[in-house]
Amino acid sequence: MNGLEARRLTPKVILWTLLLAVVVLYGFPFVYLLLTSFKTPSDAIAVPPAVLPRAWTLENYVTALAKEGVVPALLNSVVTAVLSTAMSLVLAVPAAYAITRYRTPSGRVFVIASLVTRMVPAIAIGAPLVETMRVLGINDTSLGLAIAHTTISLPLSIWLMASFFEAVPDELEEAARVDGASRLGALWRVVLPVVSGGLAVTAIFAFLASWNEFLFSLLLTAVRAQTTPIVIANFQTQFGIDWGAMTALAALYSIPVVLLTLALQRHIVAGLTLGAVKG
Amino acid sequence: MRVTDRRFALLLMAPAALFLIAFVLWPIIRFVSNAFFEISPIAGGKREFVGFDNFATAFASAAFQGASMRTIAYTLIVVVLEFSIGLTVALLFAALGQRSAILRTIFMYPLMVAPVVAGILWRFLLIDNFGIVNELLGIDVGWLSDPHIALFSVALPDIWLTTSFITLVLFAGLQNLPGDVLEAARLDGAGYPTLLFRVLIPLLRPVIAVALVVRGIDAARAFDIILIQTNGGPQESTTTLSLLIYRTMTRYGDPGLASAMGTIYLLGMLLVATAAIFAIWRPGAER
Repeated sequence: MNGLEARRLTPKVILWTLLLAVVVLYGFPFVYLLLTSFKTPSDAIAVPPAVLPRAWTLENYVTALAKEGVVPALLNSVVTAVLSTAMSLVLAVPAAYAITRYRTPSGRVFVIASLVTRMVPAIAIGAPLVETMRVLGINDTSLGLAIAHTTISLPLSIWLMASFFEAVPDELEEAARVDGASRLGALWRVVLPVVSGGLAVTAIFAFLASWNEFLFSLLLTAVRAQTTPIVIANFQTQFGIDWGAMTALAALYSIPVVLLTLALQRHIVAGLTLGAVKG
Repeated sequence: MRVTDRRFALLLMAPAALFLIAFVLWPIIRFVSNAFFEISPIAGGKREFVGFDNFATAFASAAFQGASMRTIAYTLIVVVLEFSIGLTVALLFAALGQRSAILRTIFMYPLMVAPVVAGILWRFLLIDNFGIVNELLGIDVGWLSDPHIALFSVALPDIWLTTSFITLVLFAGLQNLPGDVLEAARLDGAGYPTLLFRVLIPLLRPVIAVALVVRGIDAARAFDIILIQTNGGPQESTTTLSLLIYRTMTRYGDPGLASAMGTIYLLGMLLVATAAIFAIWRPGAER
């Protein structure tokens, strides 16, 4: 509501049409993925291709889930992402709180270092981590992979949580301290409940960073801890390409996060734009 | 009291700091130091100090030069297209106000899709025989098989995946602009192009800087999305630095050379990102 809205009717109609066209173009690829996953395997690669399935079937889903390693990989993805999210939050929350509340010079170094981490090519961290995980005895485990994923989500989590803590008035905590709460108690019982929305946003992003990650999973897992993105990538080399089953697995893997987006839309937008807009 | 506050703060930061030192800083140090060694890929193999030899080899290698150029080209394609589309859509959303909220949600969903899934999906859409894009457009383009255009084609899923990020950031920036400035520009009779280039874009400069730098860095690091579509082909036309380094390390078994390439890449990225932040953002210029 700041004067950027179109005011007359004709331009409005044109703008709506334009926007609808963009959104349809944007939505089409995923809709086509879903539609293809319900086609018969031969229909999925028919020439010429059709948008709608000739016959609707769940065959591709059955094939995909029956393939060796698919179900364990789905479970691994969940376990790894949950572990990584937990680690990320446990480490990021106190750090972000200290950075915003106590404004020590070391806090500023921290924020800059976290941003620089984002510029490092993933392989520069991933390749040496293989050796580290072997030394720690956690190569090819979900724990090892979760640690690797946390290197991606932790800087982002600190950045996000710091922005959320920034919005909490100092007085709130001072009041709790006057009432006799310890510093840790004030953080735990008074400040954290206030930023619970922010915690949720941060958790979503940490979860997604792990859920969607590929290179670390490729380098750090062999069989036991393999996550779904690796299995999706392997579909094409093992048996030629079974496009039908591949679209089914891709759909299965994406639907939960796409639904999550729709459900938590407002929080996600807040998370995405917070750091950037505050500059 | 002050001292204990500081100590408390350090205590709170320590776990995260130790984690980043152990699992980010230490690996990077190891990676960079590997660049100065000739390393046998076999476990327990020899490791010999060779000074700057690997760097010389990297700079002299045609594969490295080619991959560097392709990485720059790929990043420019992604950033330019994402910014153009992203800004246009953000302005459309701003012009249509609150009622466009549902469309904003739909527009945003690709952000949550895994790059591997996006890559495989677009490969399917663009594939030669049964690709739906050629069918719907009534054309016959070898999107991913023609080496002249493959680098552009592999960028499409990346653009599809993350243009929404630029849109959301710019849209949020537009919402935060002071209404009176825009009103004043209107009253002065400024047309939309003037408003856009003289008022909106300059006001949004910090937001644009953040969006472009974040996306630029991520595009330059793109790996899985390209790997899954073309694996660097056809004829190396989509082999960017991240793919070349990965291949040098794993398939060609030369960790030393791969580390040298990665170190050059890392330094280049830091330099460009810092320069970009200062050039676009101009911190301190307006404040």
